[in-house]
Amino acid sequence: MTALLDIENLRVELPVEGKLTTVIRNVSISVAEREAVAVVGESGSGKSMTARSALRLLPRDAAVSGDVRFLGESVFEMDSRSLRAYRAECVGMIFQDPRAHINPVRTIGDFLTESLISTRSMKPREARSRVTKLLDDVGVSRAEHRLRQFPYELSGGLLQRVMIASALAMEPKLILADEPTTALDVTTQSDVMSILDEARQERGMGLLFITHDLELAAAVSDRTVVMYAGTIMEDQQSSRLHDTPMHPYSAALIASRPSPHQRQRLTAVAGRPQSASEAPSGCPFGPRCSFRRDECSEAPAAPRVLPGGRTGCIRAEDLGLVAANQLEPIRHG
Amino acid sequence: MADPVLSVVNLRKVFTIREGGRRRADLAAIDELTFDVERGGAFGVVGESGSGKTTLARIIVGLETPTVGQVLVCGGDRRQLGRRASERKAWARRAQMVFQDPYSSFDPRQRVADSIEEVLKLHFSLSPSEQSKRVAELLDQVGLDQRHGRALPRGLSGGERQRAAIARALAIKPDLLILDEAVASLDVSIQSQILNLLSDLRQETTVSYLFLSHDLAVIRQVTDNAIVMREGRIVEQGATDGILDRPQHPYTKLLLSCVPAPRWKPRRTRSEREAAAVERNT
Repeated sequence: MTALLDIENLRVELPVEGKLTTVIRNVSISVAEREAVAVVGESGSGKSMTARSALRLLPRDAAVSGDVRFLGESVFEMDSRSLRAYRAECVGMIFQDPRAHINPVRTIGDFLTESLISTRSMKPREARSRVTKLLDDVGVSRAEHRLRQFPYELSGGLLQRVMIASALAMEPKLILADEPTTALDVTTQSDVMSILDEARQERGMGLLFITHDLELAAAVSDRTVVMYAGTIMEDQQSSRLHDTPMHPYSAALIASRPSPHQRQRLTAVAGRPQSASEAPSGCPFGPRCSFRRDECSEAPAAPRVLPGGRTGCIRAEDLGLVAANQLEPIRHG
Repeated sequence: MADPVLSVVNLRKVFTIREGGRRRADLAAIDELTFDVERGGAFGVVGESGSGKTTLARIIVGLETPTVGQVLVCGGDRRQLGRRASERKAWARRAQMVFQDPYSSFDPRQRVADSIEEVLKLHFSLSPSEQSKRVAELLDQVGLDQRHGRALPRGLSGGERQRAAIARALAIKPDLLILDEAVASLDVSIQSQILNLLSDLRQETTVSYLFLSHDLAVIRQVTDNAIVMREGRIVEQGATDGILDRPQHPYTKLLLSCVPAPRWKPRRTRSEREAAAVERNT
């Protein structure tokens, strides 16, 4: 499998009150063709910043090291012309809040056809019939009528489908979706995720899916990367994550979610999620971890590659977190 | 049910909306809603956006008035209140609300302890030392300390702020606590802390909960009885365990089948949603 997107050893520092503060520490993630990779984390985990880095959408004064490559070409070294083409044609981005990312004073039709007309030099009429078909595909009824409407006339669920249609319009090789269903009802969420799933199966599109929802990640992606305080905690096959987490943090997250099928006292994680700048050296989860040892403060920032995945926990073996994972051949690294 | 803490009888709320230009249309946000919440109980209202659950919460605390029907909190109807401040205050002590967004429900320039104290000052005549003792007690009850009390809301994390909101709501010892999507905006690890706190508070106090949420797992975790609402009407009601273990209405079944879990696959739901809409409401 060729890697579409290769984020390698990414480190991002942002100036906060005049001082450079680390927000992402040594993050490596790759997404192959037709592959769906989920990045899961709580607030401050750096998951959105990772997605933004993939598009080089970082603040001007950010200090960045490491590399992001798309089909082998470094995104950080692109000149402005190729960067524009990369953002316009290679990658589609879907944000959490469609209302904040769709021009409120232009019609849905204008919004959807703009890129086709300017980048693909399509005739307006041709572009319109193309996006009508697209809207229909993503489950927007009366598509012709919708093209004449303004964003405020559409519900959040409909508008999110419009954003997905716009991301798919250029037939990108990769979709970056940052919490695309967080503001939506569960039934709409099911629709939206199945639309993305279909596009992936039919066109071989890759998907980098950012979410806080571990269950959703497990259900819709091939691989799940769990992040905390700007650091990768673990990375393994989504289908195995719930039964055999490879890091105490993932295990704690799984145990703290209630289930719709049974009621039992939740195992809460003490304290609150920390950002990369607050976290101590070594394992950032250390202060909240019930398995912490002194040597955890010297854990390396990048996770270790093991059979079946990667884990940031130096005690993974003696905690029995990796034993069950050794069935699968190595997939990353 | 003897002496319910909340009684909603044949409630209907109609909003008039503009449909472009001068055309107006009536939209029933809530229709033919009837249910009781028993004293000390935890009652869930399940619904997606547009189900009318927030309108219901706003009517109960008096932020909206019903078009038809009655809402009785501890047997009293808010519309039959006199004008006297003491009567209105006594009524306010019956029900308190915790909102979804802990960021916008505090005065950004008031210290957390002061905003709790303000409520005490308004409702009870305590000496200053009794007052600060009670504030400390309330903060302690929700797992916060003096340091959090001295902080401004922006100095607290989302979870701490939601705890403070619960402390403030509990300050006047309400009979009913209305929680409108109270854990929806919190991080997973914080959400579990607040859910555990809510079940502890039920053991320690006599407060009843009305818990509104779209999240079936959260509803299962905190409530004993529940209603499922769709477009302002009840589609299913009963014991929470019964509804979630043996859902009867196609809409409840649809909601349950859309909860992501390992090995769940997303699917298009249009036909199921249409089928659920056709099914007669129970």
